[in-house]
Amino acid sequence: MNPMEKNKWPPGDLVIWIFIMAELLVFGIFFAAYAFTRANHVELFNTYQATLDRNAALLNTLALITSSYFVVRAVAAIKSDDSKRCFQWLLAALFMGAVFLVIKSMEYQHHFSQGINLSTNTFYMFYLSLTFFHFLHVVLGMVILVAVALKARAGGYCAQEHTGVETGASYWHMVDLVWIVLFPLVYVMK
Amino acid sequence: MAQAFTKAMARNIFYGGTGFFFLVLLALTFQTHQEWPELDNRQAINDVVTLGKQVWEDNNCVGCHSLLGEGAYFAPELGNVYLRFGESTDAIKGFIASRPVEGIPGRRSMPQFNLSEEELTAIAEFLKYVAGINTAGWPPNIKG
Amino acid sequence: MKYESQKVAKLYFIAAIGLFVGQILFGLIMGMQYVVGDFLFPEIPFNVARMVHTNLLIVWLLFGFMGASYYLVPEEAETELFAPWLAYLMFWIFLAAGAATVLAYLLVPYATLAEVTMNHLLPTMGREFLEQPTITKIGIVIVVLAFLFNIGMTILKGRKTVVSLVLLMGLTGLAVFFLFAFYNPTNLVMDKYYWWWVVHLWVEGVWELILGAILAFILIKTTGVDREVIEKWLYIIIAMTLITGIVGMGHHYYWIGTPEFWQWWGSIFSALEPIPFFMMTVYAFNMVNRRRRNHPNKVAVLWALGTAVMAFLGAGVWGFLHTLAPVNYYTHGTQITAAHGHMAFYGAYVMIVLGMISYSMPLMRGRELCNSVRSQSLEMWSFWLMTISMVFITLFLTAAGILQVYLQRFSDNPMDFMVVQDKIALFYWLREITGLIFLIGLIVYIASFFIGQDEPEATVEPLK
Repeated sequence: MNPMEKNKWPPGDLVIWIFIMAELLVFGIFFAAYAFTRANHVELFNTYQATLDRNAALLNTLALITSSYFVVRAVAAIKSDDSKRCFQWLLAALFMGAVFLVIKSMEYQHHFSQGINLSTNTFYMFYLSLTFFHFLHVVLGMVILVAVALKARAGGYCAQEHTGVETGASYWHMVDLVWIVLFPLVYVMK
Repeated sequence: MAQAFTKAMARNIFYGGTGFFFLVLLALTFQTHQEWPELDNRQAINDVVTLGKQVWEDNNCVGCHSLLGEGAYFAPELGNVYLRFGESTDAIKGFIASRPVEGIPGRRSMPQFNLSEEELTAIAEFLKYVAGINTAGWPPNIKG
Repeated sequence: MKYESQKVAKLYFIAAIGLFVGQILFGLIMGMQYVVGDFLFPEIPFNVARMVHTNLLIVWLLFGFMGASYYLVPEEAETELFAPWLAYLMFWIFLAAGAATVLAYLLVPYATLAEVTMNHLLPTMGREFLEQPTITKIGIVIVVLAFLFNIGMTILKGRKTVVSLVLLMGLTGLAVFFLFAFYNPTNLVMDKYYWWWVVHLWVEGVWELILGAILAFILIKTTGVDREVIEKWLYIIIAMTLITGIVGMGHHYYWIGTPEFWQWWGSIFSALEPIPFFMMTVYAFNMVNRRRRNHPNKVAVLWALGTAVMAFLGAGVWGFLHTLAPVNYYTHGTQITAAHGHMAFYGAYVMIVLGMISYSMPLMRGRELCNSVRSQSLEMWSFWLMTISMVFITLFLTAAGILQVYLQRFSDNPMDFMVVQDKIALFYWLREITGLIFLIGLIVYIASFFIGQDEPEATVEPLK
């Protein structure tokens, strides 16, 4: 591995891919733990899965997918040297991210008001842990996108050098990917 | 320059990651605090138990024994000794009070701490309180 | 040695090695007591030998970290130490306080020590690794603050490098988390919960920053690899350390009265804690392979590579073996714990301090670059003697632990603790013999400072 060379693939910095791999590893282990535990407590999991708001989760899925699409457009924009458009697409992506956070917060509000917490039962332990951990990653992803957006607006990127945009985009896509696995696994699959 | 940028990225990930996970720790700590009253047997803590913990610390019992699996591994686990001794504080007191000053020849020996009656009662009550803590089913059996 | 004030480190290192010898002697006493139960009883009961052994370890490592800092910070910052007089003063205060405390452990019954030092005013005594009287603990805080001040001011007035900043962060974390040692509630569960905010966040947290920074320094100096590369990887390693280690602290929260969700969070994150150690191993070997120079101080490079490998094995692998909750349920508080603890401490912290001494001591004693071939050779012998014997100590304790778990915890007819201890005595004897070899290694190590000191420096072929 020669860090002196500029990589065309994977896009963005190699370092971020190490972290993305680490992130996916953690989530992967969490998902595997969930699947394994579910296999031993099928009834419990089915019962409490039914208490989740699947419509809210569906909206959230759409929000994140849309948001990822906007990020793709942002990268395309900067590749055409259009900082302004890049910034605008990133704002749109951030808006959809905020929509996700709001909907998820409302779901949590509903659960907590019923006294549900990490120790209520094993299903809720997993549900709350997985979604909370993901929630924090959405927040972190948005912080990264804000940093990238501000730099784009200030003209910090161009068609030749926009590694930061691709790096931030990659991280955001990872966050989206995790949700796309989480949603069917936790909300839907019986 | 791509190189300097990369180191800066690593630095940002370090600060971001550390901050992020420290917040997660705080959230989990908060949750832990909420749940403690039902797990930590605090209802059993009174002046005698408080004295008992002090006796435990002043004599460095943890220097030979483990308590809830933590400490030294020279002598038996004492988190469940109250149960192991048939739920008898007298048995615990008797054991401690009867340690020979010169030890038991060739065997691992417990010092004679010359505890007063009050201190003996206190340490026994302390160990009884510890036995009532919800340790998620640990240890696996009565042996500790 | 580029800056006069760096030689402050020499005193710290000498104290460190002296205390290390003390630590091992008491370790041997304890090892003997494991098999001859009343050895030195009642004059030195097991718990007293143990607190001397563990406290000496911590204090000598602190002397080592301080010495390492006093050596590397002026060089990194490209300026003299801010206040050498303060460093000397703190040295003597720390040494005197440390010696006094250890002597007190040995000469005075612990309960009496607690009374005499007025522990009841702010009770902090009687907990593992934190046996020091409250006044000693306050003294430690003062010494560490003075040290941080000195190092911080030096960095402030000079060049700020990633190496010195990471070191400073680690040391600051060390100081901050030590403050939790003053929190000792009656509620045992809360006591234990926050106790780990000292111990875990030290050895599986901020101490790894200190380790990483010192290792980076040694690699920069001995391999000539571009600082930018080394420093970038240092950030990545410490990022992974804290990302895994902070929530990884949950692997101490399985069975002590904390909620069960910790069994999941702790298992998952602590399972990843070997990653930074693995990266450190790859990193160290990679840098040496890509070196731009052959450094004549070969033994220092050996310590650097050795520390990465042993830390990975002891802390990473052995830690992983018993970190998952379903496994830990059976192994918690057994010889498995002791096995891991010894190799982890030796690999991660003992070896890096010895490595730093190996690199810097010749320079502080007037050498251009390194010691003579004879001295280095002897030191390499000590490296292998100590390292191999530590591996075997760990293997024997692991065997003892597996048997203990099987007989006492896993079996349908579990045996009493004491009965099991008798049954695994063979492994304790083997451990003790190996411990003697470790001591021999340490003696050879000390000899290497004297034998060959009048011979000319070793030289190497320049790299093609």
